[in-house]
Formats: sequence, structure tokens, C-alpha cells
Amino acid sequence: MIEAQHLSKIYSRGVYALRDLSLRIDKGDFVFLTGSSGAGKSTFLRLLLRQDVPTDGQLMVGGRNLAHLTAAQVQSYRRSVGFVFQDFKLLPTKTVLENVAFVPRVLGMAATQQQRRTFQVLKWVGLQHRVSAYPEELSGGEQQRVAIARAIVNDPVIILADEPTGNLDPDLSLEIMNLFREINARGTTVVVATHDRELIRRVGRRAVTLDHGQIVEVT
Amino acid sequence: MHALRYFFTTAAASLWRGRRGAALAILTIAAGLFVLGFFLVLNVNLQRLVSRWGESAEMSVYLTDAATPAELKDIDDMVAASGLAAERRYTSKQQASDRFRADFPDLAGAAAGLDSNPFPASFEIRLKPEVREVTGAVDGLAAALRAMSGAADVRYDREWLVRLNAVVRGVRIAGGVIVSLLAIAAAMTVANVVRLAATSRRAEIEIMQLVGAPFIYVRGPFVVEGILQGGIGAVVALAALGLAHSFVRMRFANEISPALGGALTFLSPPSAALLIAGGMFLGCVGGYAVARRVR
Repeated sequence: MIEAQHLSKIYSRGVYALRDLSLRIDKGDFVFLTGSSGAGKSTFLRLLLRQDVPTDGQLMVGGRNLAHLTAAQVQSYRRSVGFVFQDFKLLPTKTVLENVAFVPRVLGMAATQQQRRTFQVLKWVGLQHRVSAYPEELSGGEQQRVAIARAIVNDPVIILADEPTGNLDPDLSLEIMNLFREINARGTTVVVATHDRELIRRVGRRAVTLDHGQIVEVT
Repeated sequence: MHALRYFFTTAAASLWRGRRGAALAILTIAAGLFVLGFFLVLNVNLQRLVSRWGESAEMSVYLTDAATPAELKDIDDMVAASGLAAERRYTSKQQASDRFRADFPDLAGAAAGLDSNPFPASFEIRLKPEVREVTGAVDGLAAALRAMSGAADVRYDREWLVRLNAVVRGVRIAGGVIVSLLAIAAAMTVANVVRLAATSRRAEIEIMQLVGAPFIYVRGPFVVEGILQGGIGAVVALAALGLAHSFVRMRFANEISPALGGALTFLSPPSAALLIAGGMFLGCVGGYAVARRVR
């Protein structure tokens, strides 16, 4: 499903964010990317979301080389990827319902289908009672659950999460991870970048440790 | 259909959010289109004026008192053969004298005191509209008539008609230049307002890009926002133009109606529709200029 081959990303002044990284993530896997700050976790996710292209090597997803996609193909590819960020990236002027429904809406889904699917995922993340609330009225955990609902509302085949528990306490973090586990149990590939080793231990899934852009350990 | 609804609701919400800037853009477009409409109305009415004056422009062949019927026939035949006359009419000495008395009743007494009738008989020739400015042909006819026996003088005031047409052309060119400049200013204003809207919707656009929204969904609302601004601006311009037209029509009816032979003309429905379409096009250009940079 996801295959990185000798992947390198060099930013300005010759700084390697990733260096000759090779990694395979099969369909339906749940993988943690871990490592200290600047290890290259977020860069790998950016490449996977096709926000950036590698300097060297190739990154294949579902048999497609992401570097060779046209702008329209990138948009099409992203429809198969859900994302969750540490800072949630919720739209402050929209309610919980509108934030989640925004995705199917801009993807051209029919109105009735939009509504049904939005309520479905909000119920699944346990926020059906907060649909009219604005993001600032929610706790950090609730905001992240809205972000997860938004990420899965169009049934992506891959979920990418960049430090999704970075702003949450340990109990809430585990709650969020349980949601990812459930998503993964349905067959969705999940890639989570986190520096929280304790959380990885508690969740107990494959972890790829990066350091200075290179894989130093796979457990 | 779903996409269109999304474009319109998003664009309308964005317009409302940035209503001050949008009002400025709408007013700029309205000003530009008002000037365009003004020149169109001016052009239509000047054209009527030229046409009316042109119709009344005549070539007069004054005859000597001694002109014989044969000489009169020769002159009439020459005019007919030239193919330039739409109408020709003979006015006798008596008819000329009567017309003078009717047109200038204050001076009728002075003319009556004369021993003999001083007014010459004449042929009054109304030229075909298409030959009024064909200098060579009309001048040639005037010279030939002047040389004929029985003709005392030939008068044709073509100069002022040519000059009037030149003024109309000048007004058209000046209007074109001014309207073009205003159109550019209007499109740029729309682009700036839409750019502000794009900045205020940056977070939304980022999410759209990350979830893979088709480009048309990302860009469409900006184009529609420009079109709405342009359309509203055009309607405002048309309304202002209508008010100004009504005011001038009522206030200066006595001066304008006789000159034009009727009331001041307003834009025809197709021209008004074209003006609105022009406003929407300008807005579309401004909106698209911003939208194409959003990827």
C-alpha cells in the first residue's frame, strides 16, 4: 500500500529531513512513527499527504508514485486520505456539524448523503449531542474527536495523524488512540506520528523510530 | 447543481462578511458602467440629432427671375439624373414670399412695402442620407447646377453636418477610452476585494486542499463572488442611469424634444442587458484573476 524507497528530503542549506529512508506499510496496518523533534516524522507525513515531494527516492501509494501526480491527480489522491493534526485545524466560524459536513460538501456529495454520513460519524465519535457547538466551546479531546470525524467522513483508505494527542492528557490520548484502533479494525491503514513512547507502549502496535531522517529501530 | 449552490451560498456569505470592501467594488463597477451607459445614451441621442438635422439639410438651387420653363426642366432633369436626391421640390417666387411672411411675421410688413417680390424661385433638394457626406459627388452636382443657365446660385451647407458627425465620432472615442480605463479599474478593485475574501477564507481553503476538493470547488466561489459584485454594480449603474435620464427628460423637455423630434431616448432592453452582462464579465475577470492563483 505505502512504500518508500531510498526516500530523502533535503530542505534549504542542505539539511536532511529524511535520508535514504525505506519503509513498507501494508494495507490495513497500524504504524507509529516516533522519534524526537526534527527526526523526520512530520516530513514523512507531509510527503504522504503530497504537500511536498521527495528530493530523492520514491514514495509509492497504491502503486502510484506521488511525485509524478498532476495537480488534479493530487486532489483525487487526497480524497483517499484522511488527516488529523495536533492543532485540530477546525474552522472556528463553523459548528461541529458544519466542520464535519464541510468535507462531503466540498467533495460534491449529495445533501441527504452528506447529512446522513455526518451524523453517523459524529455519533461514532460520541459527539452527536454537540453538533451545534463551535470549536472554542469544546474541550481539547472533543475538538480532536471532531477532527477525527472529519477525517473519516468520506471513508478514506489511509488515515494520517500528526501528533494527534500532543495537546491532550494521557487518558484522553488513550481514548483518541482507541478511536484510531477502531478505524484500523475496519481495514483502514493508520499512520500516526507521535513522540509519546508511553502511548505507543499502551497501544501496542508497530513503531518505526526515526532519528535525523533515518530509521533507527522498528519494533 | 450542487456545485452551483455551493458557489453561490459561499460567495454570498463571503460578500456579506466583507460587505464594506464589496460595496466599494460594486460602486466602482457601477461608476464605470454608469459612464459607459451615459455614453451609450448620449450616442443614441446624438445619432438621432444628426439624423434629424441631416434629413432637414437641403441643397437649394436659386433661380433667376428670367429662367424659362425649359431651363427649369433641364435643372430638374440634372438633379433627377444625379441619383443623389431623395426628394426635390419647386418653390415659386410667390411661395417663397408667403413662407417668409409666415416664418417672420414681424418682418412681413417690410417685405410688403417693396415694389416687387425680392424672393427668388428655387428648387429645394433633399439628399439621400447615404450621400450626405460623399463630398465629391454632392460638390460635383452643386458645381454643375451652378453653371447651368437659369440658376442664380446653389447653396449646400454640408460643412456643419460633417463637423457634427466628427463631434459624434469624437464623443464615441472619448467614451471608449474613459470606459476602458474605468473597466480596468473596476476589474482591479474586484480582484482586490476577492483577494481579501481569499485571505479571510485561508483556513477553509487549506482544508479544501487537504481533503482533495476539486479545483472548481476551491476556485468557483471566488469567480461567482466577482460575478455577483459585477452584476449588482451593473444593476446599480442602470438604476442611477434611469434616474438621471428621467430627471433630464423632465427638466429639459422643452429644449430637448424639439431638437430630437421626440423625448430623450434611454437604453434599449438589449443594451441594458448587455450592460449587466458587461458588469458580470468584469466581475468574473476580477474574480478569476484571484481564483486561478488558488491551488
